[in-house]
Amino acid sequence: MKQIILIAIIAGIAAVLPLVTGESPYFTGVMISVLMMAALSSAWNILGGYAGQYSFGHAAYFGAGAYTTMILITQFNLNPLLSMAAGIIIACLIALITGSIVFRLRGHYFGLASIAVAEIVRLSALNFEFTGGAQGILLSEVSLWGLDLNSKNPFYYGMLLVLVVTLGITLYLRTSKTGFYLQAIREDQDAAASLGINLSFYKNKALLISASLTSLLGSLYAVYIRFIDTSAVLDLRLSIEIILTAIIGGVGTLWGPVLGAVLLVPLAEVLRSNVIGDALVKQGLVSETSGLGIFLKENLAHAHVLVYGIITVVCILYLPKGILGLFRRVK
Amino acid sequence: MKNKFVSIVAAALVALPLLAHAAPIKIGFINSITGKEAQIGENLTNGAAMALEEMKAKGIQVELIKEDDGGDPKNALAAYEKLVTRDGVIGVVGPYTSSSANVVASRSDQYQVPLLVPAAAKEDITMKGYKNVFRLNAPANVYSSVLMTAVASYKPKTIAYVYAATDFGVSTVKTAQENAAKMGLKEVANEKYQQGQPDYRPSLAKVKAANPDLVFLVSYDADAILLMRQAKEIGLTPKAFLGAGAGYTTAQFAQQTEISNLVISATQWTDDVNWPGAADFARRYKAKYSKEPSYHAACAYEAMIIMIETASKSNSAAKLRAGLKAGSWNGIMGPVKFADYNGFTNQNNHPMLVQQIISGKYETVFPAQFSKKKLVYPFTR
Amino acid sequence: MFFLQSLLSGILTGGVYALAGIGMSLVFGVMNISNFAHGDLMMLGMYLAYFAFTLLHIDPYLSLLLIIPTAFLFGFILEKVFIHRIINHLHQNQILLTIGLGLIMSNTALLAFTSDPKILTTSYSSSAVHILGGISLSVPLLLSFVITCGIIGILFIFLSKTTTGLALWATSQNREAAQLMGINVAKMSAIAFGLGTSLAATAGALIAPTYYIHPMVGHTFLLKAFTICVLGGLGSVVGAGVGGVVIGVVESMSSTYLSSDWKDVVVFIIFLAVLLLRPQGLFGKKGEQ
Repeated sequence: MKQIILIAIIAGIAAVLPLVTGESPYFTGVMISVLMMAALSSAWNILGGYAGQYSFGHAAYFGAGAYTTMILITQFNLNPLLSMAAGIIIACLIALITGSIVFRLRGHYFGLASIAVAEIVRLSALNFEFTGGAQGILLSEVSLWGLDLNSKNPFYYGMLLVLVVTLGITLYLRTSKTGFYLQAIREDQDAAASLGINLSFYKNKALLISASLTSLLGSLYAVYIRFIDTSAVLDLRLSIEIILTAIIGGVGTLWGPVLGAVLLVPLAEVLRSNVIGDALVKQGLVSETSGLGIFLKENLAHAHVLVYGIITVVCILYLPKGILGLFRRVK
Repeated sequence: MKNKFVSIVAAALVALPLLAHAAPIKIGFINSITGKEAQIGENLTNGAAMALEEMKAKGIQVELIKEDDGGDPKNALAAYEKLVTRDGVIGVVGPYTSSSANVVASRSDQYQVPLLVPAAAKEDITMKGYKNVFRLNAPANVYSSVLMTAVASYKPKTIAYVYAATDFGVSTVKTAQENAAKMGLKEVANEKYQQGQPDYRPSLAKVKAANPDLVFLVSYDADAILLMRQAKEIGLTPKAFLGAGAGYTTAQFAQQTEISNLVISATQWTDDVNWPGAADFARRYKAKYSKEPSYHAACAYEAMIIMIETASKSNSAAKLRAGLKAGSWNGIMGPVKFADYNGFTNQNNHPMLVQQIISGKYETVFPAQFSKKKLVYPFTR
Repeated sequence: MFFLQSLLSGILTGGVYALAGIGMSLVFGVMNISNFAHGDLMMLGMYLAYFAFTLLHIDPYLSLLLIIPTAFLFGFILEKVFIHRIINHLHQNQILLTIGLGLIMSNTALLAFTSDPKILTTSYSSSAVHILGGISLSVPLLLSFVITCGIIGILFIFLSKTTTGLALWATSQNREAAQLMGINVAKMSAIAFGLGTSLAATAGALIAPTYYIHPMVGHTFLLKAFTICVLGGLGSVVGAGVGGVVIGVVESMSSTYLSSDWKDVVVFIIFLAVLLLRPQGLFGKKGEQ
């Protein structure tokens, strides 16, 4: 109950945020990225965190949603909402096929197989003609009920809605029978099986929920950016970023993935746009022409992934419960 | 933290109109400093930096705000929106990659801040009628048309395609196929490959067996060297190797004289073209960065010069757009004019050049009015 | 003709893949860890070979004498500082730690060496020998293949004849039992990781003269190395050797008879098929997962 209220409060704050900040496309844009990564990572967490099945190929479901939606809108002029629903169906189909292969495997093999499936999906999208191949798909115009889809607000609230739904489902799963079974599977698959839990059924259930939510986010992303190609929506880097966000925030907890996204996405943006380097130079703390100044201005942006790597190593070695674990000693 | 950030944004927005007159005019530059295209991005960074320095020396003060998109369209959009709404720039140069440029271009009319695309090749970018999008370089279809026109007089009969499975690779070959059909060239092999493979020999062996007169190649940086090494290894010897930009136009490729000799390539710019300042630019660039400028560097340099010159005469985005639309320039990229033609809007009808590597050096060989040397045909080892 | 050309160039390319696969398989066998930093360790080997060639003017093949011990030491230290802490952790944490280490290596290389690809051009970089009237074999690839065979031979003797080798082998068979027998398994892990690293670096150095060197190049070889390992049976050195050659030939054949843009898909399908139908791999023993 406490968690429901917390979700409601945070969602409420997030919902009025654009009204407070006024029309600021840049800020809203960054917030959309935060909400998207929070939701992606939370959706992954249902399968990875609670059921302990670390999928390294979630980009496949994101891409399935994005591609299905874009193809249906550009080629068949379908309503965006219907296209999103179709995206979920395609993602679930891919998930069922993936599940039938990877859930037979454990440990190392599970992770490796999930990468292989996702790579097959990526290469197929790259090689087929109907997916736009290497050229990707550009969407010039899209409309829905007279909403201004050039504005960021529909997508901000769309992402927020999916995040709230994802958190709600996670919360429900935690206290339901399915949730207990999933956690039993995570702790010890053999013991869970001997208790009569249908491993494959519950793993697939978690995967389908996770894949559907991920696909929905992929569809939203595609209509938001209005351009997709394989490197934007199907890349292995995306799958890994989703996992790292959950791990760094706190895997297997309700708020861990959200915290991870809230910290990491703005951090990446700060490094990308070089705010720190510029600020130091502007304040006169570092001379623009000095070695350090040049390094800060020219090279710090390169460091974004390096920082991810360092945080990951530190988290795995010293913070197994993620950054959330710092605040809550007891789960 | 969040509140502070919000208040900074708010303050910036409020302060903008006040600052507009006091501070120098601001221009944005979106480039791929990190990510897959970072290597080409560096050339653009250098070219742009030289232009900025030169303008400063002339007493034209502008503030350049650099943004990295990592080759990711989502980041490019964030960068553009930051530049436009938070930094208050009146014009933006970039982005480099076609996908990023496409996405940013589609939003530019919404924000009414002109975008000058220096080197992205995808046709779409200037074909959608966007009023605020200008492009300096020639689009993808010109790469193939200029190459084929250059060799047309030798009456080749067959052609084979070997190209990377990327946007540029696929787009360029599509237009090449159309141009080839017009010339009556017969397609005898079509090998699309995934980048970064260690072994292209099987594909090249197929091409060799088809015995084409022309081999049309689209590859990035080091892949070009790998492909040509393996082509030599298996003894693929057509009448001409035609490289469409990118990997076949780098100094690194030319230096591999054993494999690069007599390779013909299409480029936006060469250092021996008779456009004003081209040779001088190459000399200064080499002195500063101790390497040869690529055509990307030249495109970024000229785009930045045009942007800064025009922006310094305008104090608003609207005036800048009018200035870009009305102006004409004649610098290291030859005559520049943003015109509407053949379905393009605000597209500079840039004449591309054909160059040939002769003993490790690029020589312009086509069109005749820009070149000092003559094309060597057929290719020999 | 096509067939032979394709087969031979596949086998030669596969030789280098094999070496990358063996290193990974060894680490997996002894430590039971999937090393996602393996590709980045290969990348470091490539840079070592490149700098040995450009700064010290040492032939890339000769520079192996330098690279093998350097990489061994680097791997040994890496294990002592990071990897040994997670040896009994969940698989996913091991994977994520090695992913993190890989990201640190590749992005540090990016800062240090920029994203300009480096080309190692030797006098024989694009030379070939022609046999059977028309089939051409790349000279550097041939050399690499011969060296690979030599290294595999030495490794095989080391593992089956020396005390350390046998201790490594025992640890890979059963870690607990080995410990009870008085084998210092912690030391064996460090040695295994050192060996794995030097094999990865060697593979990198061997491929450097026929490839290019770039901070992000590890990714390309990482997935191949995994496929090879799984094909040969995770932990099996001989299996990985054969697996490498098989993958090289499959790639080559798919480019020749199918299409070069689908060849990776073929490799991944084989990978999944092996996981499902014969999870112990071609040479692994049953129940070894």
